[in-house]
Amino acid sequence: MNDTVIKTKRLTKKYGTQTVVNKVGLHVQKGRIYGLLGRNGAGKTTIMKMILGLTPITSGSAEVFGREIGGNAKRIYSRIGAIIETPGFYPNLTGTENLEIFARLRGTAFPNAVKNALEVVGLPYKDKKTFAHYSLGMKQRLGIANAILHDPELLILDEPTNGLDPIGIAEVREFIKALSVEHGKTILISSHILSEISVLADDIGIIDQGVLLEESSMRELEKRNGKYILLQVSDIPKTILILERSFHVKDYSVQDEQTVRIYDTTLNMGEVNKALVMEEITVIRSGICNDTLEDYFKKITGGEGIA
Amino acid sequence: MLRLVRIEFCKLRRKNSVWVMLVSAFVMPFFAFLYFGYLGQTNIDPRLFYKWSAFGYTSFIILPFILGLFGTMLMHDENRYDMLKQLWIVPVSKMGYFFSKFFVVLAYSICFMFINAFATVLFGVIPNYVVVEWSSILFLLERCFEIAVLTAIAILPILAVSASQKGYIFPICITLLYVFAGFLITPVNTWLHPISCIMVIIARNGAVPGMTLPQSSVPLELLSICVWGIASVLFANLRLSKRK
Repeated sequence: MNDTVIKTKRLTKKYGTQTVVNKVGLHVQKGRIYGLLGRNGAGKTTIMKMILGLTPITSGSAEVFGREIGGNAKRIYSRIGAIIETPGFYPNLTGTENLEIFARLRGTAFPNAVKNALEVVGLPYKDKKTFAHYSLGMKQRLGIANAILHDPELLILDEPTNGLDPIGIAEVREFIKALSVEHGKTILISSHILSEISVLADDIGIIDQGVLLEESSMRELEKRNGKYILLQVSDIPKTILILERSFHVKDYSVQDEQTVRIYDTTLNMGEVNKALVMEEITVIRSGICNDTLEDYFKKITGGEGIA
Repeated sequence: MLRLVRIEFCKLRRKNSVWVMLVSAFVMPFFAFLYFGYLGQTNIDPRLFYKWSAFGYTSFIILPFILGLFGTMLMHDENRYDMLKQLWIVPVSKMGYFFSKFFVVLAYSICFMFINAFATVLFGVIPNYVVVEWSSILFLLERCFEIAVLTAIAILPILAVSASQKGYIFPICITLLYVFAGFLITPVNTWLHPISCIMVIIARNGAVPGMTLPQSSVPLELLSICVWGIASVLFANLRLSKRK
């Protein structure tokens, strides 16, 4: 059984001579939350629009549920809920009336779909307030309610916490997590807020200037960016031989010709240093380091950090 | 399609301007009432009264302008609040979307002309300017229905322009230009403009006294309306496909 819900191959978007998305290969697995992380203008929204068939693909392909959207729109869209950019609704109608319109358009079969969706996002049912009088946070919540209205298998959420207050952000985060954990929904979420992605996502894709720089599971990334011992020495092969034979170190990675990372931080560094010196290896630097996701983001994007 | 049209009507909730615009259906019957009152005539030819109240400026300028405004209003919210992408992923087909708007415009146009017909009878019969004759009232209703349907089709270019624009100022300017162009072109060549074509169709067989037009071929006028209509639908399809 194929567990990849979204798969893009060399997905590219050009506006004139400007390439805004460059050969992106995303893999969103079933039942997981995939966080697409990048600065504003990195190409996150364009990727989502291309996946949804809302903007033409210049080259490459995007498959959802194993099919390209073009020609299968009706079958695929009914399985997707999405918010792209700021969700817009009819200003003269209430939140309930707006959702009823979308429910009727979709032919939603669930009798209490509107009520349930509003309950999930914490908006009142049959309220008299029209959308024109909603705050930005309420508008965003209504957008999310609209996305989950028809109980889709896949949610594509473009910066869903934009405009929400801190408590609202925490609430939305909670129910996005719950949708994935309790209901098994697959979620593709984009954000420029690193902390949001790090809390929510199971898998992460880091995008910068239209290029997908990294795609890995959060666990893998944490492992790579958690605590480690940094050892800078004059002779790497000899050092590794000593580490493996004398100290039984297996979890390490060689960073360059002089640097090795040891992920077992319980290792007695005094003993290690002594052993290396006795083998006439110069220890340039040794110590415990701790990289954050932001450090990693900075490192791979080659620039400033992110919010 | 019926579901889409019903939903379009739901979207009009609390839009008071939609109802206010219908009041303009009373404008020309009221002026006809003042005009014939000023002349002091009674028992006049009903067709002459109808020409003033329903077949003249109402169908030439007021109805097309109101329909242009209404069509722009229908398209405006979805364009302004960037809702189209939400509709496309429902999915709503682009042509389904466009034709649902057209059918709402058509229904509105029919309502408008029936209100106008009612006002015409009201302002004509009560002051005793025209004698009540069922045949003339049926003639009025029939022509009003024709005007309503044909004008709704004639307004397709405005609807297509509105569908392609985010704002409302440009479509309204185009509406004004379109309506007055029809008014000015009519004495020269009726085939060029759908609104002029409607005049020929309404006044066929000399049914409207005192209305002289340069052409009188109904099939050609219908053909002209169809050509404009088809071109508008193609334009709308092209523009909506590009608008994401």
